[in-house]
Amino acid sequence: MDELLDDDGAPRPAARPLYEFLERLGPDELAARQRATELDILTMGITFTVYSDGENIDRAWPFDVIPRIISGREWDGVVAGLQQRLVAINRFIDDLYHDQKIVADGVFPADLLAESVNFRPECVGVDPKYGVWAHISGSDLVRDDDGTMYVLEDNLRVPSGVSYVIENRAVTKRAFPELFEGERIRPVDTYTDELDRLLTSLAPEGVDDPQVAVLTPGIYNSAYFEHSFLAQRMGAELVEGGDLMVGSDDCVYMHTTRGRQRVHVIYRRVDDLFLDPEVFRADSMLGVPGLMRAWTAGNVGIANAPGAGVADDKCVYAWVPDIIRYYLGEEPLIANVPTYRCMYDDEREYVLDHLDELVMKPANESGGYGITIGNRATEEELAACAKEILDDPRNWVAQPILSLSTVPTLVPDPDPPAVGERDGAPPPVLRARHVDLRPFILTGADSYVSDGGLTRVALEEGSLIVNSSQGGGSKDTWIVDDLAHAPAPAPADSVQSQGVD
Amino acid sequence: MALLLSRTAERLYWAARYLERAEDTSRMVLAFGELFDDLPPARSGILGDGRWTALLAVFGNGVTDDDTLTENDVAQRLIVDPDRPGSVASSVGLARENLRTTRELLPRAAWRAVNDLSLFVNDEVGRAADRRFRGRVLRRVVDDSRRLDGILTSSMTRDDAWEVWRLGRYLERADMTTRVVGVRAAALMAQDPDEIAYDEVHWMGVLRSLSALQMYQRATRGPIEASQVVKFLLFSDDFPRSVLFCLSEIDRCLERLTDSEPVRHAVVEARSALLSIMTVADDGADLDDAMDWVQSLLAKVHRATTDRYLSIGG
Repeated sequence: MDELLDDDGAPRPAARPLYEFLERLGPDELAARQRATELDILTMGITFTVYSDGENIDRAWPFDVIPRIISGREWDGVVAGLQQRLVAINRFIDDLYHDQKIVADGVFPADLLAESVNFRPECVGVDPKYGVWAHISGSDLVRDDDGTMYVLEDNLRVPSGVSYVIENRAVTKRAFPELFEGERIRPVDTYTDELDRLLTSLAPEGVDDPQVAVLTPGIYNSAYFEHSFLAQRMGAELVEGGDLMVGSDDCVYMHTTRGRQRVHVIYRRVDDLFLDPEVFRADSMLGVPGLMRAWTAGNVGIANAPGAGVADDKCVYAWVPDIIRYYLGEEPLIANVPTYRCMYDDEREYVLDHLDELVMKPANESGGYGITIGNRATEEELAACAKEILDDPRNWVAQPILSLSTVPTLVPDPDPPAVGERDGAPPPVLRARHVDLRPFILTGADSYVSDGGLTRVALEEGSLIVNSSQGGGSKDTWIVDDLAHAPAPAPADSVQSQGVD
Repeated sequence: MALLLSRTAERLYWAARYLERAEDTSRMVLAFGELFDDLPPARSGILGDGRWTALLAVFGNGVTDDDTLTENDVAQRLIVDPDRPGSVASSVGLARENLRTTRELLPRAAWRAVNDLSLFVNDEVGRAADRRFRGRVLRRVVDDSRRLDGILTSSMTRDDAWEVWRLGRYLERADMTTRVVGVRAAALMAQDPDEIAYDEVHWMGVLRSLSALQMYQRATRGPIEASQVVKFLLFSDDFPRSVLFCLSEIDRCLERLTDSEPVRHAVVEARSALLSIMTVADDGADLDDAMDWVQSLLAKVHRATTDRYLSIGG
């Protein structure tokens, strides 16, 4: 389905103002505005880094100027579903590192936990504040043909993309100022304040004015732009492992021009296994020796907590609905995509018999790597995939091939007018392209969900691969409130009674 | 007081130095290009066939006795070649890369200014070998570098990052002034004034290459005269590109940073060396040696700064 247009090609209600606006604009002016945004992105230096031929290239962020629109009322339901999901997932992680009641009660299989590569025995018994481990998560949502939103996966380790949500909005505001005047589009700018508030709340007890640091793997990391962006917006220090040290008092310090200064909270964008060479990978140059000591002693808050990744696993994903029911006694408000778990004989056999109808995913890869899409793979590729599943069934899940929703997107005209019929390059044309959505969920003492999130779009016709590392683009996402459904103003008499008091 | 990581301080310091270097090199090439236009066509002597080559000496940039180098070759080396250390293209690229990785410290507009300049230089610098376009490219570098100073002056908190930025700027500037005075002024003064026609034009070129012509004229209200020019460029208390002025500013930066004694000691040393050569300012060859000496003391200030502020454990 298309999110902006119905089956007859008419605009859906929330998209009508945009649709009418684009019609008035015409193809040449629209092309000019797309070009202006690309220039904007270049001069603002909004980039991401790709690794190619052993080199790191700082590339301009790919962006399509046509926004994706979701109605506010629908979004409020998604928000409630995501909050519920993350509260339950955090209870689950905390349980795994303490009593493992869910395993004892037979809801989550013991052998799955025993084989998990993301379970960190070093974290057993640690009590992070509020019992929360996955403070910042980016769950990927997709919409199927019938319009239902599904959670496709939960990214609980170091999800990235939120900086582009904010930058995309800044760029879109300049491209279509006319639309922002007349519509009620929810702002996205406040995310960094919410994140700052969350991180500050993770400081050790008794620290009034905590020093927050964003820990980056360094300037060549693909998400370095984002690390720097978040540090800027929060007034936090952007640090690399070498900037930090853990003292004999088990506290974390950073090297500054004014000597060593204490750090109270670390927003780490470095993977668990690289965090502390004393505990995890001894060859890590990205981490800080002694960091785990400082954390378990309660002298530094770390987000996301080491070990949170245990629930970020395409196998655990299949149990999330059960996890929600077990801890919260509620039905999931937002659906999971049906998922076959290859560790079970019957489900694996189903998968092996229906390879061409399914998407096969290795449990511990991200960024779209290692995925086989059944109806697009060759016989050889399917056979290779089947072999990999049989070799390591625990590591594989499969899901039906969803028909992702589309949004009109500017692409080069596949059938440009003949030379001579017009001056200059032909303007791009609007074509339906598949999208997904990554909202960002913050969980601490309270929960917060970004308004909208990062919409990624597959620029090739029919393609489902949206990852920017593999040629995908992005769009601004508008959560639009219907002006007619705006909250009614307070009744006049209550205002009067306030006046009397 | 906002804190400053030693590692970030190092990048900021180098960003400042590279940007200053790009600006100074650009202005120098512009000023001498204009100067050569005013001179009769190539003849023998110090500004003979190798007059463009002589520019390379200012930057300590490799072979200077190669008379076969053309104007275009020199422009390639000093401006266009991205792999040649100190070229405008390389300096702007390095300034950008260092600021890209310290973005969280500076007002956003500052990063945009440098990024914008870098995009422009990437696209256009190849044309700077051609004289007709050179001015456009180099003036943009000079203007944008100053625009950045304006942005920082008007919108950056006066914290450690600010002081480190200024430190890098003034140290590079002091170094550049000593180079111009050393090589150009010494070469010019070593000649008998009567033998060089256009003497005043040469000295105007020197002053212009340091943005100093108008201020020199205001300060001295007299004719352009060799020893006066050198005194102005080295010892002026209030001209912001004179070596003495730069050293005072460096000291002021250090005053606001913590535990700066070892670095300030190096500054005092450089300053007394500078003042001690006031008497030799009339003799060309001695002046050249004296400038080398001052440069080596500026390098000591750089090393002391690196040890104290820009390395972990300092």
